Amino acid sequence: MTPELEEIVPAELRLNTARVSAFLARRLALYVNEYAGRTKAIVGLSGGVDSAVVAYLSAKALGPENTHLYLLPSSSTPPEDMEDAKAVVERLRIPEGNCREVSIEKHTMDLASSLGKRQDRLTVANIKARVRMILLHGFASVLGGLVIGTGDKSEITIGYFTKFGDGGADLFPIGDLYKSQVRQIAAEVDLPERVYRKMPSPALWEGQSAESELGIDYPTLDRILYRRFDLWWDEKSIAADLEVPLATVERIVQQVKRTQHKRYPPEVFKLSLRSHGSDWRYPREWG
Amino acid sequence: MGLAQISSKIGNVRENAKRHAEVMKKAGEDKADLTCFPELSLPGYSLKDLAYEVVDDCQVALTSLARRTEGQRVMCGYVKQDALGLVQNSAAVMGDGKVLGTTSKFFLPTYGLFEELRYFVPGDPKTDLRVFESAKCRFGVIICEDAWHPEPIQALARLGAEIVFCLASSPARGISRAEPDGELPIESQWLSLLKAHALMSNVFIAFVNRVGPEDDEFFWGGSTVVSPGGETLARAKRDEADWVTVDIDLDEVKRARRFSSFRDYRAEFHEVLRDL
Repeated sequence: MTPELEEIVPAELRLNTARVSAFLARRLALYVNEYAGRTKAIVGLSGGVDSAVVAYLSAKALGPENTHLYLLPSSSTPPEDMEDAKAVVERLRIPEGNCREVSIEKHTMDLASSLGKRQDRLTVANIKARVRMILLHGFASVLGGLVIGTGDKSEITIGYFTKFGDGGADLFPIGDLYKSQVRQIAAEVDLPERVYRKMPSPALWEGQSAESELGIDYPTLDRILYRRFDLWWDEKSIAADLEVPLATVERIVQQVKRTQHKRYPPEVFKLSLRSHGSDWRYPREWG
Repeated sequence: MGLAQISSKIGNVRENAKRHAEVMKKAGEDKADLTCFPELSLPGYSLKDLAYEVVDDCQVALTSLARRTEGQRVMCGYVKQDALGLVQNSAAVMGDGKVLGTTSKFFLPTYGLFEELRYFVPGDPKTDLRVFESAKCRFGVIICEDAWHPEPIQALARLGAEIVFCLASSPARGISRAEPDGELPIESQWLSLLKAHALMSNVFIAFVNRVGPEDDEFFWGGSTVVSPGGETLARAKRDEADWVTVDIDLDEVKRARRFSSFRDYRAEFHEVLRDL
């Protein structure tokens, strides 16, 4: 592993980018074309690494002509994020007509004001994420596409996403890749360096940083999650191996448990002989 | 023999039966004496509650496909209704215009993604260990997880099978760490397993795996024929549908068995195992 790559992805999480990206592109094409019977990928492009890699995979799977990218800034979006998003559009040779910028500021403020005085930063942040998903599904409906989600395994596992916001996509093609692995792919498929070097942020409020909010850097988070859930280690062994406080490992694991509801469909209380949930065990591809 | 490495659409038995018929036509053109499809090739693998709902369609498809056979033998996977309401993960052997016989999976996995024992009744070694005949050879049939235990292949070999077909639905794992063109861990594990069985029981083993997506799973293909000497005779493509034919020399079975202790069996081992 080159010293540069070592900074991006811990050795134990290193991927084979060519094989993984070819596999994911193939799965994406099969899902969109054959399972869903659609042709187009609809992706919200934030200027961050996850959406850049999803846009790359969509273009690889369905062609740039079938990849539609939407820049959906609000007042808390740093201008450099939009510059980075545009650099991704250019790098992927997405046709001009397939890329649109739509401000979500007015929609967000209108909705937030409907809440009256009881609005706080997190509530407004979640409204932003949901407004974006409403628009993306609207574009998908108009164009006959699917909303390709940008959630990665780190975020999904710790529940660092908005229910029915960024969590409301049709498909999560990079949902089994930790953030560090997504960065590795971005670096190795030659996406703009700023995109995979920058500090991750949902930019839902000014100055928001994912790592400071989570209280841990992504490579360490990924190494903890990998050991706990991929390798089934206990928490003490993880803390000792990574030389991080046990309390940190416990806090992360607790966050995974506490956010389990976000990874499940809403609960249905059972009344009949057979209801949606544990009784309803049909495959996704049905008929 | 021909390895029919196909992708099936889950629950869509009619569509899958059409695919079987196409491959059987090709097998006829290639003069394959023995053609094998993967595990649950007619209804698809990850059926869950659909397991109960594909029984009739499977029966109709089997009857129709069997009518197309003559002297050749064709094996495919389906859901069999054993008694009312009870279903099995089964394989049918077709030939001479009819279904010649069936067998059901003995070991039903319930770890990780697998939940077969929830739905299926296991096969009974006393009735499901069957040796079938074609004009040229005697062969047995097992299903996927059965190859992860010593007895099914050992028993079929001792009962006279010269070839054991293993219908499989093995899903891919570990792609993120695989080398560019390297084998997945599951591929090398399967190959080691097939070779070990072939060497221990002195039989040809034909492993026929599913390929392609099914819900969040992706089957990796890589169907393989191993000789009684542990040599890989044929290997189908990874991740792609494929049709592979291979000629085998049955004398290899005889030669291997003359230099082998495969027929030795000590019941005491099973007595110990039974009491654990």
